[in-house]
Amino acid sequence: MSGLLAVEAVTRRYRLPRLSLFRPAPMLTAVREVSFTLDTGQTLGIVGESGSGKSTLARLVMGFEAPDAGRVVFDGQDLAQLSPAAMRRARRGFQMVFQDPFGSLDQRRRVGWSIAEPLRAQGLGGDHGRAVAQALEQVGLRAEHAGRFPHEFSGGQRQRIAIARAVITRPRLLVADEAVSALDVSVQAQILNLLMDLQDDLGLAILFISHDLAVVSSICDHVLVMREGQVLERGPVGDVLTRPTQDYTRTLLAAAALED
Amino acid sequence: MIEVEGLSITSAAGPILRDVRLHVAAGERLGVVGESGSGKTLLAMSLMGMVPDGLHVTGSIRIDGAEMGGADEAAWRRLRARRVAMIFQEPMSALNPLRRVGDTVAEPLIRHLGLSPRAARDKALALFEETGILGPERRLSQYPHQLSGGQRQRVLIALALACDPELLIADEPTTALDANVALRITRLLVRLARERRMGLLFISHDLAAVSRTTERLMVMYGGDVVETGATAEVLRAPAHPYTVGLLAARPSLAAHGKRRLPTIPGSVPPPQELPRGCRFSGRCGQEIARCADERPQPVATAPGSWAACHLLRARAKGAGA
Repeated sequence: MSGLLAVEAVTRRYRLPRLSLFRPAPMLTAVREVSFTLDTGQTLGIVGESGSGKSTLARLVMGFEAPDAGRVVFDGQDLAQLSPAAMRRARRGFQMVFQDPFGSLDQRRRVGWSIAEPLRAQGLGGDHGRAVAQALEQVGLRAEHAGRFPHEFSGGQRQRIAIARAVITRPRLLVADEAVSALDVSVQAQILNLLMDLQDDLGLAILFISHDLAVVSSICDHVLVMREGQVLERGPVGDVLTRPTQDYTRTLLAAAALED
Repeated sequence: MIEVEGLSITSAAGPILRDVRLHVAAGERLGVVGESGSGKTLLAMSLMGMVPDGLHVTGSIRIDGAEMGGADEAAWRRLRARRVAMIFQEPMSALNPLRRVGDTVAEPLIRHLGLSPRAARDKALALFEETGILGPERRLSQYPHQLSGGQRQRVLIALALACDPELLIADEPTTALDANVALRITRLLVRLARERRMGLLFISHDLAAVSRTTERLMVMYGGDVVETGATAEVLRAPAHPYTVGLLAARPSLAAHGKRRLPTIPGSVPPPQELPRGCRFSGRCGQEIARCADERPQPVATAPGSWAACHLLRARAKGAGA
């Protein structure tokens, strides 16, 4: 059984700017032979710092770019093999939430319009008022909020709106890329609880990308620690956090610990 | 060395900082913790004499014996950099991208201390060494974009230290940095405060960073200091309901799996809608009648520690009777 999402030995390289006319452009391997599976109802944490390859991994899983080697298989389908039309249909099944909800919402549009955007991307017409109202209620907001603009909301509410937009297609996989990193502690707790509630209600699989091990410890079942494009260690979150095998993981633990 | 008494800042819409009291002696490290809207950054700006126009400042700010409450810009300018210096969250935007970082650090040495360009360069090199900048000699002639985030933050610290300030204010200095870089920057700040006998005011929403950097802690909410005490003590046994709620809401490394977090209901109201009495009333959950309208006075919770909460006073009275 390969799970809802199977990432199989994916590698992604980027060509860097040429340093000399007479030498080939240097290559950066952003992700090197990374494999994992993720099942319905499970949360996998991807932990690492900037440059670790975790955001590239998210883009590969979302099909925003294709791996140079290996496969991303969602619900039995190799994303790289799908026709554009089939890819558009498949996108219903996986959605993404980003770190900065302000940047990812159109400031000049009412939020109802932004929330319905993934449905329009599916080629579905109409104003989707019912679906928008339901999505807003699912994330703890009210149907009438659809008529307001992003600046009328607090940071936590805007992240709820971004989550409403992600769940409106009733996805089976949610990719959350540093989705709570910019939030204050008390708001962060509310959003983490919301993600866990939605997971229970919708049976979501969540790929949770973060640099904060304390957050990962509170929301993930399994964790994968990445550095320089490679997986350093992995396992159930309790095992990795209590018995880290890598100095790097210990550093991340020290950074997240309260000292007394 | 810095003593603040009854510091309040008021905008046209109402008070946004109320009656702040704090002191930082030579070599002491004080943390200021709070979420957005707590007033912690405004507090830092006021200690640098950089309160935005249109805000009214009252109260006493004594720096090295000199009363700076009500001081004019010229007086603040003489003080800034030499007595009090500040570093910020975003090291890139605080550095001039068109200047070599060595020149940026040497400039105040020439301007404020009257050093020759040669001597200023030597001092800049010494500062780069002191702040742990890798390859300090080579770095002097580099531009900000050639440095990593952590190295840029070290350059900013070197710049802040240039005129040997007695107090360093660090406003979210690690927020934009990766975890292991942040860890090294906080260790550097602790070492510098010790070696230079310099006061450190460390402002952050990151409780883990504050816990490893400071000895004492001030918790702010809605422009009020709600609790203060020894850092380890406040984190171990918080007294104010807001501090209790904040610590409980913090994800724990020991969770080891999905666990719903206790939350503080609602969100911080905009300044003009904050309750007149205890700023936290309306979200507290343990309120008594007087909380919304009557401002709670500090109640001692341990030697050198207090929290401003009506419940604590009621409890203290109950225990005393």
